[in-house]
Amino acid sequence: MIEITSPPVILIAILGTIGMILPVISILRKEKGSSSLYGAIAFGALIASIGYVVYEVFTNQIPQSALFSGDVLANDSFSALFAIAMLIVSIMTTVGSFNFMRGQSHPAVYYSLILLSTIGMVLVAYSTDLVMLFVAWELMSIPTYVLAGFMKKNPSSNEAALKYFLFGALSSAIIVYGISLVYGLTGSTNIGVVIAGLATLDPQMMPLAILAVGMFIAGFGFKMGLVPFHMWLPDTYEGAPPTITALLAAGTKKAGFAAALRVIIMGTVALNLDWSFALAVIAVMTMTVGNVAAIMQKNISRMLAYSSIGHAGYILIGLAVAPFTILGIQGSLFHILNHAVMKGAAFIAIAGIVVALGITNIDKLKGLGRKMPIISIGLVISLLALAGVPPTAGFWSKLMLFGSALDTGVPSWAPWLAIAGVLNSALSLAYYGWIIRKMYFEGETEKRIAEPKSIIAVMIFSIIFLVGIGVYPDPIIDFTKTAVPSLSALITPSG
Amino acid sequence: MTNELIDFVIISIALLAIGIYGVSVKRNAIRMLFAIEIIINAANLNLVAFARFIPNSQGQTFALFSIAIAAAEVAVGLALIIVAYRMYKNVDIAEFRSLKG
Repeated sequence: MIEITSPPVILIAILGTIGMILPVISILRKEKGSSSLYGAIAFGALIASIGYVVYEVFTNQIPQSALFSGDVLANDSFSALFAIAMLIVSIMTTVGSFNFMRGQSHPAVYYSLILLSTIGMVLVAYSTDLVMLFVAWELMSIPTYVLAGFMKKNPSSNEAALKYFLFGALSSAIIVYGISLVYGLTGSTNIGVVIAGLATLDPQMMPLAILAVGMFIAGFGFKMGLVPFHMWLPDTYEGAPPTITALLAAGTKKAGFAAALRVIIMGTVALNLDWSFALAVIAVMTMTVGNVAAIMQKNISRMLAYSSIGHAGYILIGLAVAPFTILGIQGSLFHILNHAVMKGAAFIAIAGIVVALGITNIDKLKGLGRKMPIISIGLVISLLALAGVPPTAGFWSKLMLFGSALDTGVPSWAPWLAIAGVLNSALSLAYYGWIIRKMYFEGETEKRIAEPKSIIAVMIFSIIFLVGIGVYPDPIIDFTKTAVPSLSALITPSG
Repeated sequence: MTNELIDFVIISIALLAIGIYGVSVKRNAIRMLFAIEIIINAANLNLVAFARFIPNSQGQTFALFSIAIAAAEVAVGLALIIVAYRMYKNVDIAEFRSLKG
């Protein structure tokens, strides 16, 4: 049994209770208007949750390798890393929404759905049973379908939500089918038992096992935005409210990687197939398609959506070389944490621009650096971090990812992954640079305008996070190192 | 009439194929939703059939979970489709063109 004081249980208790109570409070309160109250309550719940997880990590109460437990939830540092990343994203979204939700209808429902979705994301990282994983996956997805369409009167928000829903529902249907197949093959839904069962499978059953793992890749790949499952992603990220896009790009996408690390990597290693090469091909395709398409975009949300696809490709490098080196998954985890903050910061900055000026067209960003200096500097730092420019956090995680591909030497194709990654990073600097040029080196002498305060707070946090880790990355690298052995211990014997 | 496991698996894979066909060919949002439901029910059929031949009940439990979750998902999906219908007077997703790049 999992202890009652372990982080996942406490997180469900705190976030679930507050998430359920918020709409009730909004019904009981007579006067309308102040949406910030609900935001503040949600913020408090999230801070309490992240505080508890961080406290557990620092007091070393979290075991390193409980990746496969007989239980439905595992309390290990791998999950703790994901929980911290997702809670940071939810906090950024909640705080960024203070200004964004002013004057919108149903603020209590909005914050409540963010909290429920956060429980889902965190539980995806913690679950070690396929049933639990699926329930958590749906708990994460269903609130985000509603949130993407939250601007009910706005046609593009609607369209974004409907497309997101159809592809999301398809992906979860495919995941259920994959789970049903592995249950039939191995007689269990516990991931550890499933992996062991797949490793000793009757060769006659191999086609079904391959079909099942392929379905997991497709199903989780939809959420991760892997090519060729990415077609919904730019539309949804552009049309959804920008704060929710931050939650989608930085949060639910990372949950997809958490599930992928637990399920796909293990499954592929257990099947003893050359899946690494398939993942490598998907990685190169994903980053190339994402970055090349991003260059041609006129809308900044859409551009960052494509860049988000590109980053899924970088993270996948680590998964592809995972059977050969520890550094691969370590780099992936580090980049997942960094990408959560930088993508979240970039989309919250866009939310700030939308709140103040109502524009998302890149041509209209002229002189933004003088109009909204703090949000602009936050956007610039996060864009530079996305490109991987040295004094930011993005540099170290990209260095680790590309270094892991160069280091292994075992599969002859691994160095090409690093080359593709570096070329794509150079390409991405071109379009990030274009935005920065528009903001600072074009336009006339614009007057400074008032910036949304809550979004300034998010910007300041993310600047400190990104530059701080860029200057002094050691603690986070050590933490990712403790999160990895739990995975590699299982990879090495069978791989 | 025999109760062989393979019969159920074949039916389930046929349903999966129908579902995938429906999702990839149809552009009407409600038809796509139906096709997705067919895939989920194919998986449920699989789970229940396997649970009959495996000495534990995890499969049946999971089938119950999956039915409940699918119902929740459909509720949200139909709500989104209704909102879209009010706006566009149409549920054909090929006709939604406010997002293009």
